[in-house]
Order: sequence, then structure tokens, then C-alpha cells
Amino acid sequence: MNIKKQFKEGLITNNPVLVQQIGMCATMAITTTLFNGVGMGLSVLIILTCCNVVISAIRKIIPDEIRLAIFVVVIAGFVTIVDLLLQAFVPALSSALGVFIPLIVVNCIIIGRAEAFCQKMPVGASFWDGIFQGIGYTCVLIIMCVVRELLGSGRFGGGLIDIANGFRFTLDGTGGGIQIFPETFGASILSLPFGGFLTLGVLIAVMQYALKKSAKKQELAEKAEKEAEE
Amino acid sequence: MNKIVKLTIVLFLVCAIVAGVLGVVNAFTKDRIEEQNRIKTEKAYAAVLASDNGYTEVSFDKTAFPTVDSINECNNGAGWVVTTTFSGAQGSITMAVGVDTDYKCTGISIISHSETSGLGAVAASTSQAGMDFRAQFVGQDEAIALTKAGGEINAITGATITSKSVTEATSVAIKAAESLG
Repeated sequence: MNIKKQFKEGLITNNPVLVQQIGMCATMAITTTLFNGVGMGLSVLIILTCCNVVISAIRKIIPDEIRLAIFVVVIAGFVTIVDLLLQAFVPALSSALGVFIPLIVVNCIIIGRAEAFCQKMPVGASFWDGIFQGIGYTCVLIIMCVVRELLGSGRFGGGLIDIANGFRFTLDGTGGGIQIFPETFGASILSLPFGGFLTLGVLIAVMQYALKKSAKKQELAEKAEKEAEE
Repeated sequence: MNKIVKLTIVLFLVCAIVAGVLGVVNAFTKDRIEEQNRIKTEKAYAAVLASDNGYTEVSFDKTAFPTVDSINECNNGAGWVVTTTFSGAQGSITMAVGVDTDYKCTGISIISHSETSGLGAVAASTSQAGMDFRAQFVGQDEAIALTKAGGEINAITGATITSKSVTEATSVAIKAAESLG
């Protein structure tokens, strides 16, 4: 399996959230500010990559009967490591994401990739799978955060960007973001979990439309090629 | 039989290795996490009731106020900082409440919580909505309540349960300070 194909799969054709439709709980719950989205996305990316590599490396010695138990132990180990590191070095992110960091243990993306991919594939491919699936997940989170934050409260980059004293990135989550229109004009419903469902539904619909269209195009191109041959 | 033994050994080894790694990470991050929590607690104390020469913990009737963790008297005589842990909408919330010598609230500060991000978490956030919510508590006495219950505190949109539990805990904290006499 080549890297290019894996890249495309992770981001588009087999995107964890929009196509496989897994890991949606955290997706809807935490995408209220860009700071949360980026932090959660990167945490999942790191944990997913580490778990993929380890599970793929030990795939030959894992007995089939207890593979799920071992997956969960490995995943829980990495999640706890990330959780402790966040508490120690980025306390703002740790308190903003709250229970959703420990909940990565039961995030279906990680156990799903372990079950569907890593237990059959070599370490290299699993590593890239982790990276690209993680990036795919992060991209969806970022899109959702930007949409919900902008329409919900008229802001962009809450927590991550501060323009009060000139433009700068705030990695401790204190930045107010860029106010594009007054907060009172925002549809605050989009900041609620309900808005998460709406945004995610629209994104999935757009994705399916685009995928169907490109599949049709490909079909037509193949047909035309065949006719040209004849 | 052999198979069961093998499965047990493999699972045990994996768990042991993971536990070992976690032990190392814990040893490495423990002091830093403690330090972060201490800074947070101190900041929370100073935010609700400033004391220029520190705080002294005083004893109180724990059976009458089970949710109150500690009462810290300001060394400059300004009042008390009461820390309390109670149930929010999702998990427990730890909060510091400043009480002055007239038994009025001087401010609240949430030290740790696991409320929903964007909803209940607003109560603890540095956003405008969060600051507005906490500012309402200043000057309230033990009769503090949400507008719904006839009081003066406006609940956070979409987070009535969090707002209610924070308000009730503040009332308990003020009563605890009063019980010191």
C-alpha cells in the first residue's frame, strides 16, 4: 500500500468522521472553539499514531482471543500518558477538554483502526495510517470549530489567537479570538450540542455529494476510454 | 489448559509493561502537576478575596457541612476563603468562595471541574459570559439563589444544573463561614 493512497484515504475517501462515521461523540462535544479542536485533534493524532505502531509491532504475538483486551490496555496507557503530560504542561487545554481526553480510550477511531488495519499491516504502513487518519480527524474538527464558532458567536480562533495586543498565538488558551461580528448576532444554538449535530450532518452530506460526483466522473472517464479503444 | 495459561501470561505481560511505563511518566509529571494545581489554588484564593499576608486554615464542623473541604482565614482579617467540592452536571466541581466579615460573598472561582465544554464549563471560563456569571455572586449573602428560585443570579444558557449547583454551594460556603461565629 503506498503512502499517497493512504494520505487520500485518511483525509478524504476513508475519512474517520465523515466517511467511516466513527469518533463522533467527542467531535460534536468539543468543537466549540478552535483551541479545543486543535488540541483534541493533535492529542488523538499522537495517541492514534503511537497505538498503531505498538499494536502493529506486537500483532504477531497477540493471541486472537484476547486482542481487544490488549488493544484497550495499550490505548489506555497512551491516553493516560498524554493526559498526564497535558495536565503538567498545558493545564488550560486539559481543563478545557475535561473528560474528553480520558474518553479517547473508548474513541472508536483508535480501536477501529487497530482492529481494521494495524493487526494485519506492517509497522510502517500503520504509522502512516495513524498520521493520516489523525490529520483527517483534526481537519474535520477544525472545520467544525471554525463553522460553529463563527456562526455561533461571531468569532474566529477562540483561545488560540489573541489580537488585543497585536496578533499572536496563545498556546495557554487565554486568547479572545478575532471578533468578526458582534456575539449577540450569532446563532448561539450552534454552540450547543444540537449545533454539533447540524454542522456534522451538513459536512457529511457535502462529503457524500463530492465523493459520489467524483465516482461518477471516474466512471464516465473509464467509459469514454473504453469507447475510444473500440 | 495450556492455552489459558498462555493467554493469561501474555495479557499479564502487556499490562505489566504498560503499568511500568505509566509509573515512569507519573513520576516525571507528578511534581509539575502538583505545582500547577498549587498555583491554580493560590490564584483562585487571591481572586476571590485578596490577603496580603497569606491564609491560615481553621477548623470547622465537617459533619454539618460535608461538601466544604477547608476554610482559610485571611491573615489580614478581611474574611475567609472557603473551598468546597460538590456535584455539578457531569462530575464534581471544586470551588473557592470568598466571604467577608459581613458574611457577603466577595467572589467565586472554580478550581477544577468536568462540566461540558462550551456549556457548564462557561462557569469556570475566562470568557465574557463566564466573568459576567461569576460577577453576579459578589455581594450576595446566604440567601443567594437563581432567578428561577426567586434570587438574583441569572443561570448560564444551556447550563441550568451547573448554575444551580454553583449557586447552592456558594450559599453553603457562606453558612459554613457564619458557623465559625
